[in-house]
Amino acid sequence: MFGKGLLQGLGITFKRMVGPNITEFYPEEKPNLPTRVRSSMGLERDKCISCNMCAMACPNSVIKLTSEKNEANKKVLKTYHMDVGRCLFCGMCAEVCPTKALKVTQEFENAIYEPEDMQWDMIKRAERKGKVE
Amino acid sequence: MSIEKTEELILNMGPQHPSMHGLFRMVVHLAGETVTNIEPKLGYLHRGMEKLAESRTYSQFIPYTDRLDYLASPHNNWAYVQTVEKLMGVEIPERAEYLRVIFGELARIASHQVCIASTALDMAGWSAWSYAFRDRERICDMYEMTAGSRLTVNIMRIGGMSAEPPEEFWPALQSFLDDTPEMLEEYYGIFFGNEIAMGRLKNVGILTKEMAENLSITGPVLRASGVDYDVRKAEPYSIYERFDFDVPVRTGCDSYDRTIIRMDEIVESIKIIKQAVRDIPGGPIMAKVPKVIKPPVGEVYHRVENPKGELGFYIVSDGTTKPTRLRIRPATFINLQMLPIVAKGWKIQDVVAIFATLDAVLGEVDK
Ligand code: SF4
Ligand code: SF4
Repeated sequence: MFGKGLLQGLGITFKRMVGPNITEFYPEEKPNLPTRVRSSMGLERDKCISCNMCAMACPNSVIKLTSEKNEANKKVLKTYHMDVGRCLFCGMCAEVCPTKALKVTQEFENAIYEPEDMQWDMIKRAERKGKVE
Repeated sequence: MSIEKTEELILNMGPQHPSMHGLFRMVVHLAGETVTNIEPKLGYLHRGMEKLAESRTYSQFIPYTDRLDYLASPHNNWAYVQTVEKLMGVEIPERAEYLRVIFGELARIASHQVCIASTALDMAGWSAWSYAFRDRERICDMYEMTAGSRLTVNIMRIGGMSAEPPEEFWPALQSFLDDTPEMLEEYYGIFFGNEIAMGRLKNVGILTKEMAENLSITGPVLRASGVDYDVRKAEPYSIYERFDFDVPVRTGCDSYDRTIIRMDEIVESIKIIKQAVRDIPGGPIMAKVPKVIKPPVGEVYHRVENPKGELGFYIVSDGTTKPTRLRIRPATFINLQMLPIVAKGWKIQDVVAIFATLDAVLGEVDK
């Protein structure tokens, strides 16, 4: 019978209409993202040994870091800069970091207004974050 | 006086057009409503992937492969890392092979769901679209909890997998597998069994067996034209010879069969995943590969069955850390050849249907 398929389709939509909601009410409700989600990067300065592995693993030369020697002749991190506009958020940098100083984080609301805001000073960001918490 | 001929109309569809699946442009030549010729215009999403590979190390190129056929990124990772492994002669652990099959088949399901959804959408079936996308979200969730991303998954590494799935992955996978019969029934009820969809797709855009073979078409599009060819069976890679599954073949050669064959493939993928989940051994997920990957001098070609067809990588190595040349054989770029040939003589709305059933992803077409 012509129209049977149409009625069947309407039946399915009706069934789903009265069923439970599956949508999330973002931004009122924030999603609870798994801890592996790579939507942003976070650096713990004290853990970093300035080995430059992260910069070498990065496919797109996002990371630039400098270090200096302290009195004990140990390398300490001086600057850590990320040009996030070039970042693929692939997580390869965090994966190779031997001390897990660099980690992927779940802050996904990264929209910005100015292109300069894509230049992240990771040390400053870490300090700022420390203050807020 | 009779009107013998109308003036030819040239209609520009795309690159920004809802039914052009990305950034595809076609110049359609029309006589009235009938298509007399189509000129496909490509390159709007060209990023120079093959050239980029030459300035990246072998490992660094893996995230870029995600951005080829971005609807099935684990497959692109898979094809690429297997090519490098073949060149290096690396054997990967059993568990990693099983995980690759599980993620590969999940990606096939997700990709086919997008195909079904977008075909429905192009036929103006808004509600049918949301059903397939709703279910695809669950696969994206599984990617996300394992690898940390929903689309550009970057899940495979040369020598194995990037991460072991977390504990909550296995129950999520099981409940997804349990729900699939109901999902497929819904897709059928809301789209494939619908008289309007059938009217729009059945006997539209005939691609005969001979045409398909001559045009080097691969994937579901080829199998809907009655050719039983699937790289997983023809040249089994990874551990596919261990699984019991069929290659769905349909003989309709039309747009309807090119779409519904993807439902059959989802059923087969579910079968494979169930067997893989049953048989998966424990153990490591990474082989012992050197930190700095330097394959020996040589060249290699390797192909896999991507959801859209045959995806191949050709790599020439000069023994350094970067490939000398990398060539990608994309499935949909080659499948797209059929569009001007098949669409000739059909009406303008049929062109949309024919293009939708090709399931072209422009990331892969333009590279
Ligand atoms: S996420 Fe990828 S692209 Fe971004 S900085 Fe890390 S390695 Fe580089
Ligand atoms: S890899 Fe880790 S420890 Fe090494 S420089 Fe980068 S952030 Fe610091």
